[in-house]
Parts: sequence; structure tokens; C-alpha cells
Amino acid sequence: MIRFENVVKSFGERTILKGVSFEVQEGEILFILGTSGTGKSVLLKNIVGLLRPTSGQIWIGDDEVSQLTEEQYFPVRKICGMVFQHPALFDSLTIFENVAFGLRRHYPEMAVEQIQEKVITSLSLVGIHGVEQKMPAQLSYGMQKRVSLARTVAIDPRILLFDEPTTGLDPVTTNAINHLIQGLSRKLKTTSLVVSHDMHCALDIADRIIVLDKGNIVEQGTPEELKKSEHPLVKDFLMEALNAHGH
Amino acid sequence: MTAAVSSVGLQVISAFTMIMDFVILVQKTLLRTISPPYRLRDIIRQLEFVAWESAPVVVFSVSFAAIVTIIEASFHMKLVIKNDALVPGFAALLILRELGAVVSALLITSRVGAGLAAEVGSMQVTEQVDALKILGIDPIRYLVVPRFVACVLGGFLLSIIANLVCLFCAMLVSQIKLGYSPGGFIMAMRTFVGFQDLVFASIKGACFGAVIPIFSCFYGFRCKAGAEGVGLATTNSVVTTSVAIIVLDFLLGYIFSFFY
Amino acid sequence: MLTVISHIIDDIGGGIFFLGDVIRVVSRHKISFSRVADQIWKVTTQSMTTTALAGFFVGAISTIQFTMQVKEFGALGYLGGLATSGTIREVGPLLIAFMLSGKVGAYTSAELGTMKVTEQIDAIRCLGANPILEIILPRFIGIIVSSFFLLAAGLMMSIVGGLVMGIIFAHINPQEYLRHIPTIVTWSSLVSGLFKCLCFALVLATICTYKGYTTTGGARGVGTSVVNTAVSTMVGIVIMDWLTSLVGESVMTVVMGL
Repeated sequence: MIRFENVVKSFGERTILKGVSFEVQEGEILFILGTSGTGKSVLLKNIVGLLRPTSGQIWIGDDEVSQLTEEQYFPVRKICGMVFQHPALFDSLTIFENVAFGLRRHYPEMAVEQIQEKVITSLSLVGIHGVEQKMPAQLSYGMQKRVSLARTVAIDPRILLFDEPTTGLDPVTTNAINHLIQGLSRKLKTTSLVVSHDMHCALDIADRIIVLDKGNIVEQGTPEELKKSEHPLVKDFLMEALNAHGH
Repeated sequence: MTAAVSSVGLQVISAFTMIMDFVILVQKTLLRTISPPYRLRDIIRQLEFVAWESAPVVVFSVSFAAIVTIIEASFHMKLVIKNDALVPGFAALLILRELGAVVSALLITSRVGAGLAAEVGSMQVTEQVDALKILGIDPIRYLVVPRFVACVLGGFLLSIIANLVCLFCAMLVSQIKLGYSPGGFIMAMRTFVGFQDLVFASIKGACFGAVIPIFSCFYGFRCKAGAEGVGLATTNSVVTTSVAIIVLDFLLGYIFSFFY
Repeated sequence: MLTVISHIIDDIGGGIFFLGDVIRVVSRHKISFSRVADQIWKVTTQSMTTTALAGFFVGAISTIQFTMQVKEFGALGYLGGLATSGTIREVGPLLIAFMLSGKVGAYTSAELGTMKVTEQIDAIRCLGANPILEIILPRFIGIIVSSFFLLAAGLMMSIVGGLVMGIIFAHINPQEYLRHIPTIVTWSSLVSGLFKCLCFALVLATICTYKGYTTTGGARGVGTSVVNTAVSTMVGIVIMDWLTSLVGESVMTVVMGL
């Protein structure tokens, strides 16, 4: 579904991704783990074209997307929904308008009633009811995160990209969001790519895990395979996950 | 109805507490400025940031302002009174009494004042200000006083520099454009302005300098969390300080007019 | 020193490319009139008091300064004309534009910067919209139009401020003050003043939207961006002041045959 071939991304003198190659199968939940500043978010932003690779190729389905112009990228973004680290809701629009924003642009032919229906179903998918006319600032941070998730799934993407979905959230909300990611991906049959540094939750819900360190992939495999890894960084991550959750 | 009244009441109360907070900040800053210990090293470091690093942009801007003043004045005088005898005096008056001090003060406001609000605001948001308090360090003495002293001195010095550079540029341009010799320019200029104008301009500069850090730190300390909060604190401090400078300029101009 | 210069040149280049992008979007898409109108209304109402206040005081100061000189020459009758001309042609546009760069410029770059660092701009791109068309353009046009009107209004207020101070401070009667304004302030002053306002508005709109749109680095980054906007707009306005004066002078010289 998504294939990276030797992707390099540099900012001036600094090289963030140093030739990354991997593949995401259709319908799987893939976690990309790594410490802060290893280029996980940069990797995601390369997929949706918010950043362009310095060299290498990115395949989405049967299309190579790294050379597309901004306008040519719009259809790609219709199949790749991205959930940002911040809720990134538009402050000046109501919750309803926030969720409808993508629908109006990606599906200009959609009728008003259809949009209304779609917004309500998307919000109920993330467990939110009756706040359509409120402004983002009136909701709690956890609620905003959910709305942001609803806004992304509203456009029916086949691929969901999550940029550190639980950073800065309390354990209860973290848990809820993680299960939401899993539930949504299975229910909507999407391919999901989650960038995170939470090994515990990756072991819990991922089909496969990739560990990124200083711009290189150092380990990949199923959770079971990863538990047997000898790589020091992976072992640190595993230790942390076990300690924090008292297994 | 009662809701409307109570909301107005709340607004009045919040405006009042804001003014009280401001007055307290001014009072504390002034008291701590005159009482030891004097943090000379900090003051000098701040002075480098306020005066030395702002000097290029101030000098650059006032030179252009001087050229504009001469071009506009000369063209205008030619049109209206058919000679340019009044140009040096007219230009020097605008420069010394207004442009030099106010333009440099507004530039310091946007460079130093806004920077200060952003800096103190980020410190407030990342709880560094609280950390200072817990360590037993008075944030006003540590953060505000050195910047206050540096801005007063910096405003004073920059105002003198700005005025002199501005006059020098005006002299240069009028030699090129109007054929005034430097001596002739100064003679013509003296009909409108005197040395006391430079003194008044530098006093103005010091007063403007005093206003800048107070407002910036005031808004910085009240900064709300997040990117939005820091942006708002910075914007508010720039706007309030600029308005305060214009109003202060008017008041000082009025007061100085009794000394001529 | 050289690195500073190269940074400045990079910055100017970036701003010009950005302006190019904006103009390209204008030429290709239909602009939503209601959104532009919203922005014009918002910017104008937000900044009207500040600008009017600043204009009033700038005019008042000029009158005070000129009164002392004019009295010596015994030409108090010309006070209105001289003070108004000094304000409208030189100090007025510059100082009022400086105020606006603080008010409108800093506010816009803080707003756009916040949207950028909280990933709202990225979200717009991901949801299939062009952020320049949706976010930048309405603000860009709105700022140009409303700054122009605000500057013009500020200049009008400066005349009022001058008049009020003329009455209070110089004890000159209003008819006397106003009578000499038309003899010294010509149509060319007015036109060149308004032309300046338009150019300042363009500089202001370009710099603040560009700086806001290219903000990076969290809450601190927004602060830095606001500072940079305020400083570079002021410098830009000073340079524009000079350029417009040069152009104005040569145009007038040709037209008037001086």
C-alpha cells in the first residue's frame, strides 16, 4: 500500500532520514517507534506531501508521489488522512464546520444533507455527540483530539496516518485514543501508520513495528519478533514498557 | 439583565485589577532599581542587546527618514514659497523634535520590547518564572530591573545617535540636492533649532526607553499558555508601548515648550 | 557580518517568492468576496481607535513644535498650513504606518504563526485546500484595503489633532488656522500622501503574512516571528517612504515642469 525506497530527507546540512526503505501492507497497523527527534514525524509528512524527500521514491498504491506538484497531490491526500500531533482544529470554525471542512473540498459534489449526515456519523464514530455547534476552545484537549480524528476519517481515507496521537495526554485518555485507533482501523478497514514512542501500546495494538534511530531503521517485525530483539535501543524501549506498566 | 450587569461589573473589576497590577509593577521596579545590589554585569549585557545591537537598524532607518524629510521639504518649499531657505530649519525641526527620538523609540519597541515580551512570556509559560520564585530569586529584580536600566540608558544614547546621524544625512542630502555647504546648512538650521533641542530629544529618548521594558514585562508576566498566548502578549506589548510613546511624546513636547 | 547580510538577502528573496505565490493564486482562482470583506471589517474595526489616537497626537505634536517657531517670525497665521503640511507629507504617514505595523502586522503574524505551529496550516493542506487561497489571500487583500483606509483616516485625524492644539495652545481661531491650509497643502501633497499610504499597506501586508506563514518552533517561534515582523515592516516602510518620495518627486517635476 505504501512503499518507501531509499528515502533521504535533509534540511540544509542536517540529514534527518538517511535512506529509509520499508513497506506497509494493505489493512495492517504499523507502528513506527523512536526517540524524540529521530525523524518519525518527518517521515509521515513526506507521505502526504507536506514535505518532499531530498531523494528516493515513495509509492502509494501504484503511484510514485515524491515528484507531484501541490495540485496533483490533492487526490493523494483524499486517500491519506493525517491526524496531527496537535488537534489542529480551526479556532474560528465550529466543530461541525471543522469536520465538514475536508468534505466540502474533497467532495465538492456532496449535498448539504449528505455532509450533515457524514459529519454526525464521523463524530459518533469517535464517541462524540451533541457538540456540533460549539467552538474548539470550549472542548477539553482530549475531546479536541477526538474531533480531529473525526475530521480525518470523515473524508473516507483508505490510509490513516497518526503523528504521535497520545503525546501530552493523561493515561486514561491515552488508552481511549489507542483503542479508538485500533477500533477505527479495523472497522473502516484502513491501513494505519502510527508514529509514537509508546512501546507498550505498540505491542498491544500493532501488527508490525519499525524502530527508527537517527534516521535509519534499526529493527522491524511483529511484536513477538521485536520482543526477542538484541538491539540496545529496542531493549531500552521494551524495558521501559514493561516497567511502566508493571508486567 | 442581571447577567449583563454582572458581566459589565466583572469587566470593570478585571480592568481595575489590571491597572493595579501595572502600578505595582512600576512601583516595585523603581524601588528595586534604586536599592542595592546593583546587577552591573546584567545591565551591561542587556545594554549590549538594547543599544549596540539595535544601533544598525536605528541608524539605517533614520538615515532614510532624513533623506525623505529633505526631499519632501525641498520640493514642497519650491512649490509654495519658491525658495528653499527654510528647508534646513524646517527639516531640522521635524528631525530633532519628533523623528529622531520617536522613530528610534518605536524601532526599539518592536525589536527590544517585543523580544522582551516574547522572552518573558515564554519563561512564564514554561514555568521558569515560578522556578525563580521557588529558588528565592525575585523575578522583578532578576528580569525587569536590568532591562529597565539598560533601556533607559539605551534610549538616551540611541536618541542622541539617531538625531546626530539623521541631521548629518540631512546635511549631506541638502548639499547634493540643494547645494548647501555644511556651514550654510548649520547656519540655516540654527534659525529654527538650538542645542537645547538635542538635550530635550535625549531626555525624550530616556523616557521612551523607560516605558518599553515595563509594558513588555507586564504583558510577558500575564502571558497565557501556548503559542497563542505568547503571540498575544507580544502583540499587546508592541501596540500598548507604541501608543504610550506617542502620547508621552505629546506630553513631553507640551512640557518642554515652556522651557524655550 | 556577511552571514547577517546573506540572511537578510534570503529573507527578502523568500518574501518576494511568497508575493509571487500569492499573485499566482489571485490570477488562477476566484476570490471569495465575503471572506475578504470579513477581514477588511475585522482589521478596520480592530485598529481604528489606535490609529485615530496615534494620528490625533502626531498632529497635535507637530502643531506644538511649529507654534514656538512661527511665533518668533510673527507668522502665526501660517501655523495651520505649515503644521498640516509637515504632518501630512513627512511625519504623519511614517509614524501612523509604524503604529499599524505594530497593531495589524504583529497581530496577523501572531495569528498565522499560531496556526502554523499548531499544524492548522498543514491540516488545511491535508484536507484538500490551498492555505494561500483560504487563509493568506483574504488577509492579504483585507490588510491592504483596510490599512490604506486606516492610514488615510489617521492622516485626517492628525489634521484634527493639529487644529485642536492650534486652538488650545496657540490661541488661534479655527477659521484662521484652516484658512491657510489650502495655500500650503496642495493637491499634490494629498495625492502623494495617499500614494504613500497604499505602498506602506502593500509592504505591511506582504511582510506580516510571509513572516506568519513561515513561522517555526512552537510558542517561542511565534514570539520571534512577531518581533521579526515588527522590525522588518518598520524598516520596509522607511525604505518605501524613501522610494515613494523619489518617484513622487520625479513625477511631479515632469508634471509641473519644475
